[in-house]
Amino acid sequence: MTLVDELATAAAKGNTADVEYLLQEGAQVNGVNCFGRTALQVMMMGSTPVAKVLLKYGADPNVADTSTGTTPLHDAARTGFVDTVRLLVEYLADPQARDNTNCRPIDLARANGHEDVVAFLESL
Amino acid sequence: MAHATSIQYEPVAEIGGGAYGTVYKARDTESGQFVALKSVRVQTDQNGLPISTVREVALLRRLEQFDHPNVVRLMDVCATQRSDQETKVTLVFEHVDQDLKTYLERAPAPGLSPGRIKDLMRQLLCGLTFLHSNRVMHRDLKPENILVTSQGQVKLADFGLARIYSCHMALTPVVVTLWYRPPEVLLQSSYATPVDIWSTGCIFAEMFRRKPLFCGESEVDQLGKIFEVIGLPPEDEWPTDVTLSRKNFPPLMPRPIADFVSEITEQGAQLLLNMLTFDPLKRISALNALEHPYFQDEETLTQTKS
Repeated sequence: MTLVDELATAAAKGNTADVEYLLQEGAQVNGVNCFGRTALQVMMMGSTPVAKVLLKYGADPNVADTSTGTTPLHDAARTGFVDTVRLLVEYLADPQARDNTNCRPIDLARANGHEDVVAFLESL
Repeated sequence: MAHATSIQYEPVAEIGGGAYGTVYKARDTESGQFVALKSVRVQTDQNGLPISTVREVALLRRLEQFDHPNVVRLMDVCATQRSDQETKVTLVFEHVDQDLKTYLERAPAPGLSPGRIKDLMRQLLCGLTFLHSNRVMHRDLKPENILVTSQGQVKLADFGLARIYSCHMALTPVVVTLWYRPPEVLLQSSYATPVDIWSTGCIFAEMFRRKPLFCGESEVDQLGKIFEVIGLPPEDEWPTDVTLSRKNFPPLMPRPIADFVSEITEQGAQLLLNMLTFDPLKRISALNALEHPYFQDEETLTQTKS
């Protein structure tokens, strides 16, 4: 496992302490793991603390999934984690981004009944 | 069983490795959602998959038909033949992007409200009652495999896999946490569904404490930490079929549970002690726990958002 693989795994497991440690050890925040994804793309969406550390270290919030065009904001909106949605937007994630099915994050939030996320994204 | 895992499900990160195989977070490219891929490599012969694997998978699929709200969905099962002797069985589960560990860490000080804890506990026990009534033991309950959706819905994950794994895998040394293990497992005595109740008790305490209750570094150390709280059990409760003797432990008296779990109500403490009972036969069942007076007041039925 490379450092970036470890970073992506720690992010996906929601392990904030490990994410921070690996970044301090020099793991590239926008590096891709062996599956071609960045840590922010695969992070545990409910773990706002992990998102915060990655974004503080300069993670790009607008990287889209190579297969589906999904951005982290799409995923956070679809799963309904409003704190992570807010944070991503604060770090300039594009709320108008469209995935390969032409959906914006707000469309996914609406389809999944996450009204708080819908309300927040509408307010932008 | 389908044969097209790699096309529909694209791994994006490894999220678990162990004695049994690897777990991946993956994207279902059809729905766009994340899923968890859990693969087991099983030995095959001219008759195909071992009957025990087929049975375990069939049991998981049968459970799936109940669509229980507090267990993760099993969405798909795929088998890929890797050689004449080996087949990879991949179980595709619903992936929830938050676990109880993260949920507890994220809760602002001073932690979860008593009502929220009660709601989480009720859902956890509903999931367990469902599994146990279908004769499925979890065996490895911990905050990392208790998932919590953004709507506050609890879903148990990783159940029913232990047997599939242990049937076929040569166990490789991996670090597994001992903190939620009951005495009978630590003592390598026989065990059954009460193991999950012990783990639930540890997790119940952790919801209040926001840190684990018993953090042992070895099996013996873990037992020692347990006895510091519940006291050394009487001689007649010590299992007879184990190598570790009761004499290895100091004769400790039980201490008030409120010393370790402050802010718990009287009835909560009572339920906790019923779960942290040394003798698995005297430990409360999941179903009886749900009927405990702790759950009887009405103001806690609300499901608050995460």
